Amino acid sequence: MKTGRHDLHGLTGAYALDALTGLELDQFEHHLHGCPPCENEVRGFRETATSLAVAVAASPPPELRERVLTMASVTRQLPPEVREVPPARLRPARSPWLPRMAAAVAAAGVAAAVALGVVQSSTQHRLDQAQAENRSVAAVLAAPDARLAVHRTTAGGVATVVASPSRHAMIISTAGLPALSGGKVYELWFVSGGTARRAGLLPAPASGRTAPLLASGLAAGDAVALTVEPAGGTSQPTTKPIVVMAL
Amino acid sequence: MSTPDVPGSRPGLRPLPGREEDLAELLTLVARGDKVAFEAAYDRLARPVYGLIRKVVRDPAQSEEVAQEVLLEVWRSASRFDAGRGSAMTWVMTIAHRRAIDRVRSASAETQREHKASTVAAVPPEGVAETVESRLDAERVRRCLDSLTELQRQSITLAYYGGYTYPEVASLLSTALGTIKTRVRDGLIRMRDCMGVSW
Repeated sequence: MKTGRHDLHGLTGAYALDALTGLELDQFEHHLHGCPPCENEVRGFRETATSLAVAVAASPPPELRERVLTMASVTRQLPPEVREVPPARLRPARSPWLPRMAAAVAAAGVAAAVALGVVQSSTQHRLDQAQAENRSVAAVLAAPDARLAVHRTTAGGVATVVASPSRHAMIISTAGLPALSGGKVYELWFVSGGTARRAGLLPAPASGRTAPLLASGLAAGDAVALTVEPAGGTSQPTTKPIVVMAL
Repeated sequence: MSTPDVPGSRPGLRPLPGREEDLAELLTLVARGDKVAFEAAYDRLARPVYGLIRKVVRDPAQSEEVAQEVLLEVWRSASRFDAGRGSAMTWVMTIAHRRAIDRVRSASAETQREHKASTVAAVPPEGVAETVESRLDAERVRRCLDSLTELQRQSITLAYYGGYTYPEVASLLSTALGTIKTRVRDGLIRMRDCMGVSW
């Protein structure tokens, strides 16, 4: 079906509400940049939508504040966009504001950086380790197919994974997992078709967080799981996973 | 002071003076790395951001994750906010809505973990810290939504709060695609005029 110029203009409302997808979204965005009246209308509709948003404001859990402020304190900010050509030509096609995947990956990097920050504040030895790990972390983060997953565990706390199947590697960091007694450890697994492969042990937590663990041997289609195991880990999981993350 | 064309057509609750300007100013400071400004911005944004995400995503644990991403994104990309292209609140809420939508549209493949997450998350109390301001906003929006036709109202709320694509909205309402497209746009024009949006 061919969509005419007039039809496209009628999509301003659906676009402003993020209700367009696929080809239609691409067509409309292409149209939008050459159609100042459409841009104006979309702006007005977005402002209108904001009032719908503000009308359903609700308080988040109070601990979110500290977490966001802490993460911000170790997150580098984007530089401003400096324009050399007329602004209309500089706008990215997908969105005037931000590429979603890049942002998601950056958020994962942030989680890793938070953990690193904690490590770095302890000793020089750990600082060196952290820097070496940081380079590997950066390599996975920079992979074009890097994917982010952030999941809560049934034991409490949050696990953040950035995985790159093309690099056969992933990074996991956690925050808020309960401390384990009796030398027990959190063990990481790659899970595929009902079988689990050892992927490493999470480092001991510092201030409730575990530093990023780089795990190699990830295959396409693998899920990632964490279990609680006896000291030193085991060759097969012996307890129910506290989190299973599809990637 | 100007009189509206049709008395009563606008509830007359324009944003209180200074609110929007303050937020835009805060974002300018945040872009320079001002942590105090970011704390103030967080306090202004946390409720609208989390509220919208809760409305779309529903699951409290996932909503919290998405809200965290969005609020951190405000810190990270504050330099990209351009007051010439829209208000500061809209810049943030557009990010929040897109992230919430991304989460629900990728969720169908992950329903299992969603279920898991929802069993462990505590549901936070709602409306405890609700301010007079936000009550007025909500009342104004309700009145403006009431001024729409049923089909306009349903199309807009299913798309925006429900996170449905407009073909999905058409299917849910058993209405032709072209009709939904028109109703969404007409409804938004009416809402916009009713709310007194100045863009």
